Amino acid sequence: MEEYDVPSAASILASVKEQEARFERLTRALEEERRNVSLQLERGSLPSDRLVGGTTGGSNQPLAWQQMVMQEQSPSNQTSLAMMQEPQEVVEETVTIEEDPGTPTSHVSVVTSDDGTTRRTETKDNVTNMKVTKMVKTVTTRTVRQVPLGPDGLPLPEGSSPLGSYTDSIDRRYMKNGERFITPQATSTLTRSYNNYSDSYNDAPDSQFRHYTLHDGYGDMADNYGSLSRGVNYRPYRPYMPTGGYRPENSYTLPIRKDDYGHVAQPQVPMGSSTMDLNRSQPERFQPEPYGLEDDRRSLGPDDEEPYDLEPDYSTANRRTLPGRTIREPLRNGPRMRGYEDPIETELIDERHPYIHGMYPAPLAQPERGSLASLDRMGGRRSPSIDSIRKDPRWRDPDLPEVIAMLGHPIDPVKSNAAAYLQHLCYENDKIKKDVRQLKGIPVLVGLLDHPKAEVHRKACGALRNISYGKDHDNKVAIKSCDGIPALIRLLRKTNDMEVRELITGTLWNLSSYEPLKMVIINHGLQTMTNEVIIPHSGWEHEPNEDSKPRDAEWTTVFKNTSGCLRNVSSDGAEARRRLRECEGLVDALLHALQSAVGKKDMDNKSVENCVCVMRNLSYHVHKEIPGAEKFQDPSALQGPGSAGTQRKKKDDAGCFGGKKAKEEWFNQGRKNGEHDKNYDTLDLPKRTEPTKGFELLYQPEVVRLYLSLLTESQNFNTLEAAAGALQNLSAGQWTWSNYIRATVRKEKGLPILVELLRSDSDKVVRAVAIALRNLSIDRRNKDLIGSYAMRDLVSNLPSGQQRPAKNLEEDTVVAILNTIHEIIIESSENARSLITAQAIDKLVAINRTSQSARETKAASHVLQTVWSYKELRNALTKDGWNKTHFQPIPTGTPKGSRSCKPGYDDTTLPLMEKNQGNRGCSGGDMIPMGELGPDGYSTIDQRDKESKYKSSDGSSDLQEREPLKNDTNRKHYIRSNRPTVSLVDACDVKPQPVDSWV
Amino acid sequence: MSFIPGHPVTAVVQRIEIHKLRDGDNLILGFSIGGGIDQDPSQNPFSEDKTDKGIYVTRVSKGGPAEVAGLRMGDKIMQVNGWDMTMVTHDQARKKLTKKNEDVVRLLVTRKSLENAVRQSMMQH
Repeated sequence: MEEYDVPSAASILASVKEQEARFERLTRALEEERRNVSLQLERGSLPSDRLVGGTTGGSNQPLAWQQMVMQEQSPSNQTSLAMMQEPQEVVEETVTIEEDPGTPTSHVSVVTSDDGTTRRTETKDNVTNMKVTKMVKTVTTRTVRQVPLGPDGLPLPEGSSPLGSYTDSIDRRYMKNGERFITPQATSTLTRSYNNYSDSYNDAPDSQFRHYTLHDGYGDMADNYGSLSRGVNYRPYRPYMPTGGYRPENSYTLPIRKDDYGHVAQPQVPMGSSTMDLNRSQPERFQPEPYGLEDDRRSLGPDDEEPYDLEPDYSTANRRTLPGRTIREPLRNGPRMRGYEDPIETELIDERHPYIHGMYPAPLAQPERGSLASLDRMGGRRSPSIDSIRKDPRWRDPDLPEVIAMLGHPIDPVKSNAAAYLQHLCYENDKIKKDVRQLKGIPVLVGLLDHPKAEVHRKACGALRNISYGKDHDNKVAIKSCDGIPALIRLLRKTNDMEVRELITGTLWNLSSYEPLKMVIINHGLQTMTNEVIIPHSGWEHEPNEDSKPRDAEWTTVFKNTSGCLRNVSSDGAEARRRLRECEGLVDALLHALQSAVGKKDMDNKSVENCVCVMRNLSYHVHKEIPGAEKFQDPSALQGPGSAGTQRKKKDDAGCFGGKKAKEEWFNQGRKNGEHDKNYDTLDLPKRTEPTKGFELLYQPEVVRLYLSLLTESQNFNTLEAAAGALQNLSAGQWTWSNYIRATVRKEKGLPILVELLRSDSDKVVRAVAIALRNLSIDRRNKDLIGSYAMRDLVSNLPSGQQRPAKNLEEDTVVAILNTIHEIIIESSENARSLITAQAIDKLVAINRTSQSARETKAASHVLQTVWSYKELRNALTKDGWNKTHFQPIPTGTPKGSRSCKPGYDDTTLPLMEKNQGNRGCSGGDMIPMGELGPDGYSTIDQRDKESKYKSSDGSSDLQEREPLKNDTNRKHYIRSNRPTVSLVDACDVKPQPVDSWV
Repeated sequence: MSFIPGHPVTAVVQRIEIHKLRDGDNLILGFSIGGGIDQDPSQNPFSEDKTDKGIYVTRVSKGGPAEVAGLRMGDKIMQVNGWDMTMVTHDQARKKLTKKNEDVVRLLVTRKSLENAVRQSMMQH
């Protein structure tokens, strides 16, 4: 280009190189021993040839120099990095490097170097000439960029001795991958990268050189530099470059690097290691796993707390990792501080966008600004001692585009380090996650999932896990849209590495929190997750070996993550439920895991919670969605509420009295309302020819005991809610199985357990239990028992007027309780009397008149109307000072409860129910037994999942709940025997009962 | 016989059908009951287990419908027209027995002598 500059440039180069040569000799002497070992190993590989070629290829005059340098340097290099050959190249190329910015020539030369020396020479001459001129002018654009790129460990090269360390690292990699690389050159990708690589490689020295000069001379100015545009800044500094900058670098570079590496620049570490990978640094400091994991966990941990996903992991993971990590921790701060938040930087990043996609070349172009900026910052933040060491900010962290570019680097360690670094950067930083997405980093990471090397796919997975976490669903979508989900599943199938599996399942869990991805996960991963994780960890065996004991479930992180993922996807509607139910072995394994949890009395963990939630969701609408469910539909269902009572009887055979069936028949003859009795004879438990399996297990009466055990033993509110919700779902609807379930709950003494939970301090538990009781009271006998034993607790949960009770339950819960009360007192004046005895009228009237919630008012009004409809109770009510007006709806009065109930049913009750459901899509009416109550449970789950995503759990309520449960041993007794007594005794106080009464 | 709410019970039971006697507006069964889950079970003179809160027949009027039907003092009432009486309050039991719209009451009762009889017969075999 500008030929006149050539002479001056050449002379400068020459002088520089001389100095370098001297310097290196000195270093060499010191480190010769080291080098010998390492050199021999490395030399065996190809690079030497190439390198030599390259050197020779260099400019003619420089050749002599270069060659000299090479020989000398190689030893010196070895000391630092063990690469001798490359240093030579570097030096020469340094000259060339400058050209690179200007033109592709450098590239050409590089390529040739691999093949042969000849070509290079040609180019180089030009290059050398070019250099001088370009240095000044071109620098702005490319010089800087190339430096970082070439090494792949981008930033490091600059900071470290440009020639030695930088080159060395490269060489080694080549050597390691040597075969690959060299041959591949033919191939497009490889060649490309290679070329770029070499280019940068060659160039690197120059760029570094420049940088140094700049920094050295203007160390203080660096800040300005960062903010200003590069081009401008560059020129002024240039003059320094030739002499001062260069030498110093060599001298410090090596030492500095190591120091920095170890202490400060954590982020760099990954990067550095990638570049340097070399012998020492990698093994000690960079152990990829710890780094990656730590980051993950750390990063995930905090996140977890908010969202449901990772919570548990966090705590455990943290504990595990932190202790050992203390040393490294400080390092981490470094990276974070660098912030990409600066407006300037962001802009830059955006600008670079296009380049990045171009792969290597793009990255080359960009690094300058970012690097400078980051350098500045880093310098500012470091401790004084460190600052002194690195007054010249040669060390800098790679910026985001650089890191992403490195994901595509041909050398595996670079990839894995870049991914690990990304993971680290993304930790709790939504901005960076977004930037990574916009820089198209996600597809690259996903691509790495299929990388054969564990190190690489592990790190990529870690980065994806962090990226997938958070409210920004776009990140999740980005992972999905580049087929990340099948890739994760593939990897899950392939790997046996527990850590990788944890990362995969954690990522899937995160992804599953976004509605539109649920079905995708089901489509790609359901069976794999079941086969690979759920079944093996649940302890369930398809064909149990009779010799061996049944295995217990293992509450591994993988199991927890996977069950969490399934929990999320199970809320995606009927189709999702169908798929999960029909997934072979899933229900069996989940049930086995839960049974094992109950057996071990270990059910407060997250895995159990997840499993119960899945079970609850799958139990939703079983009576409608199970294949062949029609066969079990209860014909008497059409008869309405009254029929339920009789149906349950067949199920009751094993109840309190032997041979009850016959007796009941007999008794029923005496009942005026025994019309329905004929039906129950025809209903029988379906005969099972073979053991139940699969989704049929969901609604077998046997599960009742499991849920009741959970309700009795668990202290986890979510688990309690889910177990109650499962019973609620199963007892909803009119089909044979729900009849059995309702009767079984009673037979298994479940009613006192549920009633006990009405006292829970957890709003959602109270709500789920209340709705479950309502469904259970479809069974006539249940209704009587619940009316007798639950009324006080139900009423005590009601607010009195505008004053909320201590519990301060949500509107949904209050409405649910009111609806349950209504259901209980319908067709049962006894229960209505219990309601009065429990002094509920006060509260109901107060709610009816003063509640600010329209839904509460309506529900209370319904109850009051029904109470008033029992004429036999009116006397007592009047005595207590109530009159008709108290039982009328406030706005428009239809005083007659029973009559008004019908209309109310249509326009009021149903709406009420829906509202009660929180608009979650409940299908049926509440008060009518025939209605579907199930939706509640289901929707509850769903909603809770959503809510919990970003809600932190309510710690206070947790604490409260636990206290009452502390008397675990006493608890059962209390519930089973004492409890009813207690509440009834209370009633006794209110109204002393006759000891003896004539009838 | 002790009874804990919620626990299965085995008992020898007898069915008794009582036709109420109409006396003006009142329907008369002719016996009295004691007990119930809201009563102090230790006061029950008829129960073996003093924690039993069941409903017991405390008195039977001579010549009344109950006596005619075979009900005896000390019988424990298990069910009334199919309604469980083992876990009810005293008042609930009373109401179940005195429904004005039912002329017939079918009871399921147990008594010690029944159990003994059964035991003996089983031993004989």
